[in-house]
Amino acid sequence: MSKEIFIFIASVLLIMPMLSVFGDISLPGQLVLSAPFIILLGIPHGAIDNVLYIRGASLKQTHFIAIYLLIIAINILLWVVFPVAAYVLFLVISAYHFGQSQFSHYFKTQKLVHQLTNLLWGVSILSALTLFNLTEIKTVMSDYSEFSVFDPVHHTRGLSVIFGISTLLTLSSLIWLTASKALKLEALFMEVLILALIFVSFYLMPVIIGFTLYFVILHSFKVLGEEYRFLKLAKEVKSRVAFVKLLTPFSILSFFGMGVVFALIHFNILAMSYGYCLLIIISSITLPHVFVMNKFYKLLFKTNFYQEEH
Amino acid sequence: MLLGIITKITQLAPDDYVGFTFFIGYMAMAAAAVFFLFERSRVEDKWKMSLLVSALITGIAAVHYGYMRDYWGEFGASGDGSPTFFRYVDWTLTVPLMCVEFYLLTKVAGAKKSLLWKLIIASTWMLVCGYIGEAFNPDGGSTSHSVMWGVLSTLGYLYILYTVWLGEVAKLAEASNSDVVKKGVRTLAWFVLVGWAIYPIGYMCMDGGWLNGVFAAKDVDLFYNIADAINKIGFGLVVYNIAITSSAKTKTA
Repeated sequence: MSKEIFIFIASVLLIMPMLSVFGDISLPGQLVLSAPFIILLGIPHGAIDNVLYIRGASLKQTHFIAIYLLIIAINILLWVVFPVAAYVLFLVISAYHFGQSQFSHYFKTQKLVHQLTNLLWGVSILSALTLFNLTEIKTVMSDYSEFSVFDPVHHTRGLSVIFGISTLLTLSSLIWLTASKALKLEALFMEVLILALIFVSFYLMPVIIGFTLYFVILHSFKVLGEEYRFLKLAKEVKSRVAFVKLLTPFSILSFFGMGVVFALIHFNILAMSYGYCLLIIISSITLPHVFVMNKFYKLLFKTNFYQEEH
Repeated sequence: MLLGIITKITQLAPDDYVGFTFFIGYMAMAAAAVFFLFERSRVEDKWKMSLLVSALITGIAAVHYGYMRDYWGEFGASGDGSPTFFRYVDWTLTVPLMCVEFYLLTKVAGAKKSLLWKLIIASTWMLVCGYIGEAFNPDGGSTSHSVMWGVLSTLGYLYILYTVWLGEVAKLAEASNSDVVKKGVRTLAWFVLVGWAIYPIGYMCMDGGWLNGVFAAKDVDLFYNIADAINKIGFGLVVYNIAITSSAKTKTA
């Protein structure tokens, strides 16, 4: 059991019963509770993409930033022209990214079966999150007209089928990997347990709190740990303080950028709801981040990072 | 005595599956206690205490299951209540003893007495808080009471979980240089992670509890009985396996 898994189990066991005392928590309330954790851990885990990508690549910092911004711009354009396609793309790449970070310490290569497992795992948890909280999601989205285009994506029956198939295939894939000795039996048990716990927390908790628990602890915290240990091994940073210093500039820049966009909405310069805008921002910073992380994990496998560590 | 037992058996309805598991639990625990006591003579001296503790755990549980079976026959089957008091007395004695097993197994790698006391205190804390939460729940059930004592109890559980998976016990097992001990301690850690998880679920099903209404009180007793049998006998069997495998290895060496 890793530290992240322990923290996740402890958080679920302690927070879930407490939520029953507070009763229903409104969406703004959920955002207030979740925001500090997302700001402190969620955003920073993608704030050193430049450092991670440039390492081992013959690319200048300025070129990297230019390409990064270009991907963001293309994504925003996609949101303007084909919002449904942009939304589905966002969900699919997020699913793959979540799966990739979940299994990064098991897989030593990125063969098709591993990549499929990553994707299926991510689709399984994201469809569970949507399916189990569909009423809450639809209620929130119904307040803003922009979200109405996503109604076909949030079809209960379709989501149920996607959830059922992806979960079944994820489990089959994990069993197959165990049978072919790519995964230890204990790892299989742990992954099944974690998947079940994620489902339970998504089912029983309010949507944003449930997702934040997963995103911050099992995803961001783990990725930050990998980034820190990798850079330390590469003698890029010497201490945790140095690592935090490395994370700070782009984290602050991200908050500042978001602040500017929200200010534009506030002063009616940008005609868009905060929620819809937040979705586009998250999707736009996720897309290039996923490419960077894909390369980062390839680098980890190439340098036998997990074997070296042990 | 025999007549008394037979009378109790005949009082159990044929479809009283909960009563059936009380009876099965009683016999299984008693049989396991006898087994561990007899098998003590087959293992090396350093494992004898571990097997004695396994016998004590199942023996104490057998006695309590005897009482609980009678209690169930008298009050439980008619829906007048679960044997909460007996359960907690049983757990308060046997769960710290399970924690003692972790100390005994890792003693070969240098476990200190402080580890033993920390685990005993954490397990006792977990059970006392759980008992207050369950037994002193106001009539009709109070969510705040149930949650407060449940959360406090969970802190004790989390301490044990951390210690056996990531903390002192895990590190000592790793340092033991014995694959048998490493594997055995890890298996016991799985019991703590999965096997013990059934108890908070049962706790949350009480009146005012967070999962109240999800399962009937009768079903909760059924879960407890099955979980107790698996956890206590299973725990003992893992310890037995460590002791017997290690002893066999020493003999052949």
